[in-house]
Amino acid sequence: MKILLAEDDFASRKFMDKQLSRYGECDVMVDGEEAVDAFMMALEDGEPYDLACLDVMMPVMDGYQVLKAIRDIEAQKGIPKSKRVKVIMTTALNDERNVKMAFELGCEAYAGKPIDVEKFEKVLTKLGLI
Amino acid sequence: MAEEFNTESMLDMFLYESGQLLEKLEGIILEKQDADCFDDADINEIFRVMHTIKGSSGVLMYENITKVTHKLEDVFYYLRESHPDDVPHMELVEKVLAVSDFVTGELDKLKNGDTPDGDEKELVEDLDEFLGRLKGEIKKQGIQMPQANKHVEPTQFYITPVAGDDSHFYRISIHYRSDTQMSNLRAYSATYALKEVAEDLLYTPDDILSNEASADVIVAEGFHMLLQTKSSKEDVIALIDSSEAEEINFDELSKEEYGRALGEFGREEAEPVVVAPVAAKDDSNKEAKKEGPKPGDYVVKTKEAGKGKTLAKNQPKQQSIISVNVEKMDALMDLIGELVIAEAVVLQNPDLKVPGLELSNFQKASGQLSKITTELQEVIMSMRMMPLTNTFQKMRRIVFDVSRKLGKDIELEVVGENTEVDKNIIEHITDPLMHLVRNSVDHGIEEDPADRTAVGKSSKGKITLEAKNEGGKVYISVKDDGKGLNKDKLYQKALDKGLIENKPMSEFTDKEIFRFITLPGFSTKEEVTEYSGRGVGMDVVVKNIQSISGRLDISSVEFEGSEMTLVIPLTLAIINGIVVQVGNSPFVIETASIKEFVRVGEDSLISEPSGEEYIVLRGECYPFIRLNERYDLPDSIDKIEEGIIVVLEHEGSQVCVLIDKLLQEQEIVVKPIPPYVRKVKGLSGCTQLGDGSIALILDIAGLLMHDGERR
Repeated sequence: MKILLAEDDFASRKFMDKQLSRYGECDVMVDGEEAVDAFMMALEDGEPYDLACLDVMMPVMDGYQVLKAIRDIEAQKGIPKSKRVKVIMTTALNDERNVKMAFELGCEAYAGKPIDVEKFEKVLTKLGLI
Repeated sequence: MAEEFNTESMLDMFLYESGQLLEKLEGIILEKQDADCFDDADINEIFRVMHTIKGSSGVLMYENITKVTHKLEDVFYYLRESHPDDVPHMELVEKVLAVSDFVTGELDKLKNGDTPDGDEKELVEDLDEFLGRLKGEIKKQGIQMPQANKHVEPTQFYITPVAGDDSHFYRISIHYRSDTQMSNLRAYSATYALKEVAEDLLYTPDDILSNEASADVIVAEGFHMLLQTKSSKEDVIALIDSSEAEEINFDELSKEEYGRALGEFGREEAEPVVVAPVAAKDDSNKEAKKEGPKPGDYVVKTKEAGKGKTLAKNQPKQQSIISVNVEKMDALMDLIGELVIAEAVVLQNPDLKVPGLELSNFQKASGQLSKITTELQEVIMSMRMMPLTNTFQKMRRIVFDVSRKLGKDIELEVVGENTEVDKNIIEHITDPLMHLVRNSVDHGIEEDPADRTAVGKSSKGKITLEAKNEGGKVYISVKDDGKGLNKDKLYQKALDKGLIENKPMSEFTDKEIFRFITLPGFSTKEEVTEYSGRGVGMDVVVKNIQSISGRLDISSVEFEGSEMTLVIPLTLAIINGIVVQVGNSPFVIETASIKEFVRVGEDSLISEPSGEEYIVLRGECYPFIRLNERYDLPDSIDKIEEGIIVVLEHEGSQVCVLIDKLLQEQEIVVKPIPPYVRKVKGLSGCTQLGDGSIALILDIAGLLMHDGERR
């Protein structure tokens, strides 16, 4: 499985990278814009990502903007809903409005930090990724 | 304050919404418990409640809740689609209550920060079996089977953050030897190693890489880190390179201490909520691209919000129109209290007393201001008021459960459930009330219906729960038409247990005898049942009620029934008080507890050799307390004919205190005595007066208690 990880905080990034590398190849980005670039590139190379884990509080573009951009690009390219990249937001913003907005923007899951690794894996199973 | 808005976490919302839905569910069920079947509206409603809880618990991945609610939703789906006849109504009621209890239990676990790990299997099997029978019934009645209820798996998930409980918080300080070279790089390697296990890491000085001068600071002052991690102390220590280090201090902190320490390290404790500024930090020519949502754009237009509306519409009785965090209400209440005080400070300002000032415009304006602050006060008070509906609903459930278990046929009548009481008070009376209701069902109503018919009562027992609002007090009574209290038995029992003085029964009034049941260690029932009779109940009830300055009245007629009445103040935050002065200190006494003011002569005073003093008024003897002696107040009146005697009453006991003079009567905003002041007996709080000085509020119960102990 091909994974895109966007996270600006070093400690979190290291942690997530370690976790995610168990499931597949993990590309690590440090800000939102890079994440969109990487997503675009993978799409153009015909090797799209299966999973994107986006932090919300990132420099340049925040996680919501990245999520929206990704969904917009997919819509523009006519990618069917079932083939879209699965997006999991990873953030310490756990208030209801943020979560609901992320859901509306079209993420598959929203993981509050600190991340519950067990549940995270359960979600990956439910999403059919592992 | 601003960042606190709408930061209720996803979990809080789930708990709140589900809690509300379950309450509503119980309301429907208990209302219809005696009916033959649920009507269409009820079935729809129960279906919808189950569906909503199923959905949201699915998103949050609480699978046991999802499974149970899903099953019950299925049951109601078939009821809704096929309208079968002869549904075993009582059984269905029990099933719904079982599910509701299960989910409530799991929600409680979540509220306490535990994992909702209740085993749903038995309940699901039970429901399955019921559903199977239901389907069979549908077939037998020749009704067409509806298509199977489609269960849509949630497509979006919310992973709740792991509870902070298993995180450890450490403060680590490293002091390097004074000749250590490049201590900043050593410090960095320590932070680097810790990042491996850190959930959060903060260190000072924080410019260890970019600023070489930081090396000197580190050598001089040490290198300090705050670490949040799941790793144990030993693991963390192993990660830190201790060569060159002279001393490593390692403290484990509590979460609160950690939060405070974060502040010392120059970081806000609260998680940043604003998203935009982070993005906006970068160069502005990217601004055009960033048309993504900003925090201000959040418009909550989700389905849940729509559902919330219908919920409110279908439920005119429960006025849950918007929900506000109680803390915010308390904060607002406090602020308005401050405002009232500030207003008094302005309007009674000594500067205004300069002779010859033209104040007519000021007076007009201040009149207007007073009017508005008074209204404001009334509005916030009414906002804090909540009807007792929900509390009474819980009581219905208890009567239902306990009477079924005990096999008693009991009817519950509820009067005045819309009576409104301050939110804080509701929280305090629920448990005592529950106890009283249980007692009535268990002890009050006769076990054998024949005992009832023998004295000319109907065989069905009746319990009346009544609330009313009178003269700034709320009366909540639990009345049963059971066997009533037997005075001889109560007296004998209290005597046997050595709870009372050995006096003949005739020296006690009826009320005093009834009050025996509130003595610790008293229980008239020989056998302890599941619901009551452990003898630890009534005294706790009384204690709880006293803690909110209420009281319990008991009246009873043997063979006709008993009535327990809770009398509680309408609100705790603002009282009507009289300001008095002792020495140079003002005190406030709650108006309701003052019986009278009198001036007496020295001849009314009785002094015991042990130093206790009593005042004789019209032939009655009252204990006498000199406030100036008790609280060491200088410059106060010592001779009782020069001062004023105030007779105070609390729960039937009286006490006299000596004061210098009366100042005024006013509305008092009660403030707790700040925690850094040691708890003083006899004082319940403080308040600020118009001239800015602080007045202490006398706690009559405390004074009496103190007096009792001294003797």
